[in-house]
Amino acid sequence: MKTTLKLFNLLFVLLAFVACSDDDDDGPILIAVESNTASNIPAPQTGGFGQGEVGGPFTKFSFATGTVTDSDTEWDIAFRGLRIAVNGGAETGTNDEPTRNGNAGAAIVDGTFASVDSADGLTFAQDATGAFAVPAGSDNGWYNYNPMINVVTPLAGKILVFRTHDGKFAKVEILSYYRDAPTDITPEIANNDFRFYTFNYIYNPNEGETTLTAN
Amino acid sequence: MNLNKVSGLFGLIFFLEFGIHAQTEEENRDSIPLENLDEVVVTATRTIRQLSSLPLPVTLIPKKQIKRSGLTRLNEILNEQTGIVMTPDITIGGGEGVQIQGIASDYVLVLIDGVPVVGRSSGNLDLSRFAVGNIQQIEVVKGPSSALFGSEALGGVINIITEKPSSDKISGQVTHRSATFNNQNTTVNIDQQIGKLGYSIFLDRLSTDGYDLTNGDEAQTINPFFNYTFNGRLFLDVSDKLRFFSSGRYFLQDFDVPSGTSEERDANVQLRVDHEISRKSHFEYELYYTNYVTNEQTVDPIDNEILLDNDFDQQLFRPEIRLNTSFTANNTLTLGGGYNFESLDRSLFAEQVTFDSQYVFAQYDFKPFEWLNVIVGARFDNHSEYNSQLSPKISLRYAITPNLAFKGSVGSGFKAPDFRQLYLDFTNALGGGYSVFGKEVEVQGMQRLIANDEIITDSNGNLILPVPFEQLGDPLNAESSIGYNLGFVYKQGDFRGEVNAYRNDFTDLIDTSILATKRNGANVFGYVNRESVYTQGLEVDLQYRFLKNLNLSAGYQLLYAFDKNIEDELDENGGFVRDPQTLETVRIGRDEYFGLENRSRHTLNVKAFYEIPKWTANANLRIIYRSKFGLTDINGNGYLDDFDDSFVDGFALVNLSFGKTFLKHYEVQLGANNLFDFRGENPFSTADNQIQVNPGIQLFGRLNIQF
Repeated sequence: MKTTLKLFNLLFVLLAFVACSDDDDDGPILIAVESNTASNIPAPQTGGFGQGEVGGPFTKFSFATGTVTDSDTEWDIAFRGLRIAVNGGAETGTNDEPTRNGNAGAAIVDGTFASVDSADGLTFAQDATGAFAVPAGSDNGWYNYNPMINVVTPLAGKILVFRTHDGKFAKVEILSYYRDAPTDITPEIANNDFRFYTFNYIYNPNEGETTLTAN
Repeated sequence: MNLNKVSGLFGLIFFLEFGIHAQTEEENRDSIPLENLDEVVVTATRTIRQLSSLPLPVTLIPKKQIKRSGLTRLNEILNEQTGIVMTPDITIGGGEGVQIQGIASDYVLVLIDGVPVVGRSSGNLDLSRFAVGNIQQIEVVKGPSSALFGSEALGGVINIITEKPSSDKISGQVTHRSATFNNQNTTVNIDQQIGKLGYSIFLDRLSTDGYDLTNGDEAQTINPFFNYTFNGRLFLDVSDKLRFFSSGRYFLQDFDVPSGTSEERDANVQLRVDHEISRKSHFEYELYYTNYVTNEQTVDPIDNEILLDNDFDQQLFRPEIRLNTSFTANNTLTLGGGYNFESLDRSLFAEQVTFDSQYVFAQYDFKPFEWLNVIVGARFDNHSEYNSQLSPKISLRYAITPNLAFKGSVGSGFKAPDFRQLYLDFTNALGGGYSVFGKEVEVQGMQRLIANDEIITDSNGNLILPVPFEQLGDPLNAESSIGYNLGFVYKQGDFRGEVNAYRNDFTDLIDTSILATKRNGANVFGYVNRESVYTQGLEVDLQYRFLKNLNLSAGYQLLYAFDKNIEDELDENGGFVRDPQTLETVRIGRDEYFGLENRSRHTLNVKAFYEIPKWTANANLRIIYRSKFGLTDINGNGYLDDFDDSFVDGFALVNLSFGKTFLKHYEVQLGANNLFDFRGENPFSTADNQIQVNPGIQLFGRLNIQF
């Protein structure tokens, strides 16, 4: 597992500083909005598919650090198999879920990654008894499962916008559910290398800022 | 009865389905050159009509073409006809379905001697079940024909007409054909007409080792199988005015699957009485019973535990009465009515289910002017489980000149919701735990899941139901279509050309929708009327008898087939796909929408049949082409688009055969299907798992002995 950070917008940072000093504005100094890719976030689970009840710990992820975390509080979203939990709301009732102690939420917006440029005006759902904020099931939330070829494909045009546990915003486009995000998912890969999330995300670390573009 | 005394259509109608021998007496109705008199069909109007005089598109496949081609099964011969395509199922090795004017197999009615066959697997009727060794001709009416035939006749009707005995001596033939893949086909035909009594016996046995299209796995695509077809028929002409016909057919097929059994049985019994009550009126009484059974069992190869037991037992009993009345030679009124009793007993259903339906139909075929033929008709179907249907149709033929005619027809078709869509109660325990409920059982099914606390709830404990509970169980409508056909026929000497533009608009197609989500993440599916699709295009058929013994023909079909809802959505909002390389979402529009699965924009056939009487020999060459088609949406956006990596490239198959008769009674035939050994590549192939589109060249030899 690795998390790669790609700095896209050094220029933006510089401009922001320049703008502030030039205009003698007393607005906050904005921290850079970064475009990143998280690769191969493992999402193991036990059980399921006729092997007993689904269980096992969720893999927790923090947008602020851009990494997987073991923290019980400083996490935003978490993965187990096809389920994505948010650190906000209540446990849905499955085994081994992490305690929700933040104010995270999720919204699903239709568009390309670039076209979803703000979290403004969105309604954020939180995890609740019996239902994840990102709905479970094929074609309901973020993926399509094709039983004919046994492949999970992220739904095109479904951009996940998250409110983080501490009230900031991020958008996510899941690219793959398979190790190393292969373009060609062979039956071999479909049967062995699943439950590895790769996604693009943009996180706005500025309190109260809803902008989700990195330029 | 002295046929010479009977004039016009009246005489012909009397011989409905026996009339093949009566045509020479019929000259009033159409001024057709003598050599074309054998081209009569019964399916288009349920009366005997000259093929060339019909106002609607009909393909006739005569016995001679079937024999000369050396093909033995219905699917093989149909695939060589213009605008008829046998399409592979998405699951490799699944059944092939017939497609007419771009309309899928589910919506094509198949008849034997005018009565429907049953036994579809997921809507698809396996046409390789039907041996073609005892048939007189195959008639294919294109476009909706529910005005005469009711449910399922949306895309068209395929009617297999069996042969009638012609000689008072016992005549018969024994044929054996051997082909690649150890394909062994033996056929015995015996028939005789003794005075008023005629009989005909047909036996067919086919066995093969099957073949494999996938080289990377252990399983075989088509497992070895054998099947038997038995058909016995009796003809009794009590008097000129009263005739009996009865037929019994039995088919048994057994697949040699690695662990378990897979068996299929199909039985049909038909009894028909033709009664001429006056010179102008003629009744037909028909009783029909059919039973289709499959038993499928998969056992664990280690401990012989039964893993899957899937049985299917469908029955149809149908009495029908028809009356044909001719007021004059050129107008005929056809009236009919019947009752369908259907039942299905299936492992995946809670209990045996039954359908009852009653129907009446009327058709008036007339010539208001010498140059104009009009046929109007309608049928009313009343059904125990869904809304009743009225299916009208009008067709006309306008003879512009003696050689050129305009043909046009508008008709409606429908397909009743099938047993599966009404009664399925299925939970896939092995494949993720999803459930599917038919319309009639979805309320109970959902109640059961809710009671077991399997359905997700929101934070307040309320059920999350995409379809409100009160709306569950609302009846399904029949799937319906309107078809338009407009064309011209031109005949000049030995040339015949036909152009037909078609459009079929389908509404209320039944699709699955999500009723709820279970706590395990799997969905609960139900059936809804949702989709609207259309197919449109052009068919061109050209035939030319070049020299005396060389028949050339060419056929072409242009096809556009799209889902209207998807088109509208793409026009309005655009759509999304994942770029297969970057995996990121990109926006697409209407232009990237490829259309419905399994449809080729262009299909083409070219055929040459050559007879050499001096050598009592014949030869033929047939080339069948279909352009690129897509198998399935693979990138998960719900439709086939240019980014889907699931296209099969266009390909042509070349088939040929040679035949020679020795000592009058012996005919030897040699041939090859897929002469150039086309194998193709299935888009689901991977580096270590190559999947072919076609098993490759199939050579055959056939010996036919007549006695």
